[in-house]
Amino acid sequence: MNIAMNRIMKEFKEVVANESNGIELHMPEGELTRNPSNSSSNKKEIYLSGSLLGPPDTPYAGARFHVDIIVVDTYPFNPPKVRFTTKIWHPNISSVTGAICLDILKDQWAAAMTIRTVLLSLQALLATPEPDDPQDAVVANQYKKDRKLFEKTARHWANVYANGPTPEPECDAAVKSLAEMGFDEEKARAALSSMHWNTSDALESLCKA
Amino acid sequence: MTSYFDEHNCQPLESGEEPNHLLDLARLLLDSGIGAQFQLEFERIFGNVDGRKQPPAAKHIIENLPLINYFNNDEKCSICLKEFQLNLTTELPCHHKYCKICIIEWLKLVNSCPMCRIEFETDDKDYEEYKKQKQRLKQRQVELDDLHNSMFS
Repeated sequence: MNIAMNRIMKEFKEVVANESNGIELHMPEGELTRNPSNSSSNKKEIYLSGSLLGPPDTPYAGARFHVDIIVVDTYPFNPPKVRFTTKIWHPNISSVTGAICLDILKDQWAAAMTIRTVLLSLQALLATPEPDDPQDAVVANQYKKDRKLFEKTARHWANVYANGPTPEPECDAAVKSLAEMGFDEEKARAALSSMHWNTSDALESLCKA
Repeated sequence: MTSYFDEHNCQPLESGEEPNHLLDLARLLLDSGIGAQFQLEFERIFGNVDGRKQPPAAKHIIENLPLINYFNNDEKCSICLKEFQLNLTTELPCHHKYCKICIIEWLKLVNSCPMCRIEFETDDKDYEEYKKQKQRLKQRQVELDDLHNSMFS
């Protein structure tokens, strides 16, 4: 058994013993390891999933966000690959793919970090976005130019996609009006969010696509 | 007495040979550390885009890691999360302890301690120059601030 698998087993005990921060780590059902889909090598990757509770006093408060975690063969010498599977409106997370821009998942990774510290860092990222180092430029722009609107949009996404406790009736109504015209609800929501909830601008961008 | 050519690490031109100005210019730029300056200037304008990748630690550091046998029974290596074993444990200059094989594998990738991120020497001349320039820039900023404070407070 290699060091990656050994460490993940030890880490599991650590997270299970420390669930007070609203983070969770799950083993997949069935096969734990898979060969990377894009290569024929026999390097095994470990597929895990986790979730974190949105931090208090943010638009994400009370909502639960799920992430996919791929532990590479060379872990802990290289960082795990992490991606949000729950849709989220945040400057450092792609609203389309869930890709995350966070230094510790790239060049600032250190071998002493664990999956638990990664999940806690993601929680911290939700509380303190870095709009100057964005993953999603549209969201980052909105964050910088109209903080109130950003918070409303983020709260709406958290309510719809992550069981967040606070509905935004205006947003719901705008999405519903476009959905009734026959547009896909998810696409309508993305277009409205990018167009500062201006229905005619959103309509135009939906028709162009 | 050393000749002009020895001192400048170049050779006299053969008869009929033209000087290679491009090579001279490249040499001049490298010697003046301007590469590192460009990097810093780039970071100032565009931000630290994906950071400069830290090179591995210097070979002599990796080769001269000491073996230590002073640790508590429940102390663990933060890389493999296993308890330390006699004659297999080492300590970095920052006093963080690791299994020797674990930290060697890490230092072959990155020149810093995984716990405190303190940086160690590297064999990468370019990176060492970059670090020095960065230090100088910081020092200059401190001096400017001091000057400013002494004038306006």
